[in-house]
Amino acid sequence: MSDIPAIEVRGLRRVFDVRQGLFAKPRQVVAVDDVSFSVPAGSVLGIVGESGCGKTTLARMILGLLPPSSGDVLIDGQRLGDLDRRARARLIQPVFQDPFSSLNPRRRVRDIVAMPLVAQGNIAGDEVKRRVGEALERVGLSAEQGSRYPSQLSGGQRQRVAIARALVLRPRIVVCDEPTSALDVSVQAQILNLLAELRKDLGLTYLFISHNLAVVEHVASEVAVMYLGRIVERNESEALFAHPQHPYTRALLDSVLTPEPGLGVPDVGLGDTMPDPANIPPGCRFHPRCPLAFERCSHETPKLTPNEAGFVECLLAEE
Amino acid sequence: MSALLDVRNLRVTFGGTAAVRGASLTVEKGETHCLVGESGCGKSVTALALMGLLARGGKREADALSFAGQDIRNLGERDMSRLRGDRMAMIVQEPMTSLNPADTVGSQLTEVLRRHRGASRAQAVDRAAELLGRVGITAPGLRLGQYPHQLSGGLRQRVMIAMALMCDPELLIADEPTTALDVTVQAQILRLLAELQAEFGLGILLITHDLGVVARIADRVSVMYAGEVVESAPTAELFAAPQHPYTRGLLTCVPVPGKVKRGEPLGSIPGVVPRIPPGFVGCSFRDRCAYAHAACKHDIPRQHAGPDHEALCTLPPGWTDRAAA
Amino acid sequence: MSVTVVPGTGAARRLLRNIGFVVGATIVGVTLIVAILAPWITPYDPFAVDLVHRLVPPSFMEDGTPANFLGTDQLGRDYLSRLIYGARISMIIGIATVITSGIIGTTLGILGGFYGGRMDDVVMFLITARLSIPVVLVALAVAGLLGSSFILVILVLGLLLWDRFAVVARSTTMQIRTLDYVSAAWCAGSSQASVLLREILPNIATHLAVVATLEMALAILLEAALSFLGLGVPAPLPSWGLMIAEAKEYMFFTPWVILVPGIALFVLVLGVNLLGDALRDLLGTDLNR
Repeated sequence: MSDIPAIEVRGLRRVFDVRQGLFAKPRQVVAVDDVSFSVPAGSVLGIVGESGCGKTTLARMILGLLPPSSGDVLIDGQRLGDLDRRARARLIQPVFQDPFSSLNPRRRVRDIVAMPLVAQGNIAGDEVKRRVGEALERVGLSAEQGSRYPSQLSGGQRQRVAIARALVLRPRIVVCDEPTSALDVSVQAQILNLLAELRKDLGLTYLFISHNLAVVEHVASEVAVMYLGRIVERNESEALFAHPQHPYTRALLDSVLTPEPGLGVPDVGLGDTMPDPANIPPGCRFHPRCPLAFERCSHETPKLTPNEAGFVECLLAEE
Repeated sequence: MSALLDVRNLRVTFGGTAAVRGASLTVEKGETHCLVGESGCGKSVTALALMGLLARGGKREADALSFAGQDIRNLGERDMSRLRGDRMAMIVQEPMTSLNPADTVGSQLTEVLRRHRGASRAQAVDRAAELLGRVGITAPGLRLGQYPHQLSGGLRQRVMIAMALMCDPELLIADEPTTALDVTVQAQILRLLAELQAEFGLGILLITHDLGVVARIADRVSVMYAGEVVESAPTAELFAAPQHPYTRGLLTCVPVPGKVKRGEPLGSIPGVVPRIPPGFVGCSFRDRCAYAHAACKHDIPRQHAGPDHEALCTLPPGWTDRAAA
Repeated sequence: MSVTVVPGTGAARRLLRNIGFVVGATIVGVTLIVAILAPWITPYDPFAVDLVHRLVPPSFMEDGTPANFLGTDQLGRDYLSRLIYGARISMIIGIATVITSGIIGTTLGILGGFYGGRMDDVVMFLITARLSIPVVLVALAVAGLLGSSFILVILVLGLLLWDRFAVVARSTTMQIRTLDYVSAAWCAGSSQASVLLREILPNIATHLAVVATLEMALAILLEAALSFLGLGVPAPLPSWGLMIAEAKEYMFFTPWVILVPGIALFVLVLGVNLLGDALRDLLGTDLNR
């Protein structure tokens, strides 16, 4: 493996203007705020956070679906903006959350899977056919299922189609945005196992976005925790789950309900104020919900404090 | 003393299709009974059938269906609607579908009490404000004047819970009440439900697909598969010694932090949920079951693995111990 | 309960169970066939004047003759033949208008919905501007300046009735472009043209089909109205509107002369609308899955 990181993100920021009325001044919503990280080739970076924390916006920027307001995305050492659409497609592919909206209902499965090959423009018909068949087989679908429409498949089968489509160009990187959240537990396990197996066999790099920490722990080698547009803690998976340093990470971990009877429902102590990306508090952005907040948190912005493999952004850790 | 809710062999059909093919469960006063299963297993239809809220074309039959000792099988729509929202209440996954977007939270909350109890406006407002405070909403007075779209998902679900509690119900049916919420909010809402239950002695029937939720909050669990309750047991017993192969499969599918090593495959159940044709006999899980044998094609006995532990399976009770040994 | 919808067979079966669709499709289908076969199935030349046999009642009425099933008009032309040729005019107007306005409206709507921003502002302005132009007044002006002709009617209607296509194409495109399968197509490296033609257009086509039926009914009625006013298809072409206009002087003595084209017009427009309603119902269930 080369030393060039599969994904490198530098100072990425994205601001949305939200118009509230015809004459009102647009409000600025900072969805992703100065995020930097790199993902070594062959590893899995898990990104966790609550809805509205900016994780999907981040994924869309890395996929080139949304231009950043500022900052750079480098895929395999090359600036995303410099890659043409075909070259980008050969490097990075997505798997989305909802297998019901991620497949065009009017096309047959084999045409959906063939789409990235066809878009390359220089692959012969026989070759396309062969590789589509290969990809379908790889994800556990039969050739007969290839001639069906998405509405004739179950949720798990649809997600397999989406994975086949992502892999047919043999990309290096796959961005999985909540790939199992819309699935039943038994199907979720099948898809997670498939993703793990494909990664091992094909040497893929995953950016794995999820709100489910148990799932992230299972697949990710490193984890980044996002809160209101920033990564507040990043570490190796084991270290992060064993000793979370940021109070938010701790709260997230505490609120995971593992199937262990008798433990009761934990008290995460976050209160009922919800984070609002249009109204980011001064100081540490987590302080209004933080059970450990003290006076300095409300006006002093915490700096990055390095840990084993990443950093944490909390005044408590600075001390 | 009979159970608060007693359902025996509930069956629901839509046209020729059976959505529920045999659900039996009881909810005692002050007990949380979880009905767990995957999508399409009939758990939500069961909830709607119990509330008498089946969509048009749905037909409900049961050997017994009683609420607080009263047979509600043949209750007319008028009597049912008197029960609903008063002595039995329901909360659903997406609160937006049951809150009226054009009406304030306050007027929707007070309407329940005024309709069922004939309370005065002032009384109802007091009660609403008190309950909003009770479900953990700060500044209840302010929230009463707001519209549902001004609230976050977690707040809306709290409002739904407050609304369900307006008339001091005896039974609360909660259909995936936390599925649409973030994990941190989910923990808060579940905690709230547990507290309220202890305080008001509520019987709760909680419908969920999340085994984590089940483990943490249920007293009793019923596992549903393809329209049937295939296993029913006290929570600790179900997780410690699951009898039905489906339950066992389901439990291995869930990644547990610290238990399953990274990189090792999770357990999974092969295949997909089958379509059950009319006149189907035998075990609906047999095509996906590693232990299936000839007897699974005939009527399946309901076996007791413990005083309170039933499973719908041909395997002898306690087979898992021998399988492990 | 999840019900899987099978495109093709299932949709066709559901359509055939819809009475509105069966009736509408039959009416439109029969009219279309009659219009196409007009030169071969008309008993007489629709323009042949026979002043001896004027205003002969239909054969099933008193004084009718079997020679003229629907009688003759004030110039002794065979009414059935004129009615059949009239169907031809109505169908040509309806279809040509829908094609012209459909192309204009869909293009504008997709562009606005797809690109948003400035492009969308321009499209919205065009739609608003178009909605403030009264069709009949424009037709009047055109007829006054250039005289009335068949082609002009098609052009006026086709260039003016695209607004609904544009509105529907714009809003459905806006919805669909945010869906994940469109994102996936971008990530797959598809070109803009390919995203528009393969991902978006097929998914808004059914909505546009519903609009097409509404517009077709409207175009047929407008043509009849314009011809009635003398601004549309010029005589002696047998447009149903023109037939009604020519018949109005005799309606108190021979009411059937106005009833025959009137009923034909009513039935055809009803058929087109029934077809549209059925398509919309089908779409409704389709979108609910």
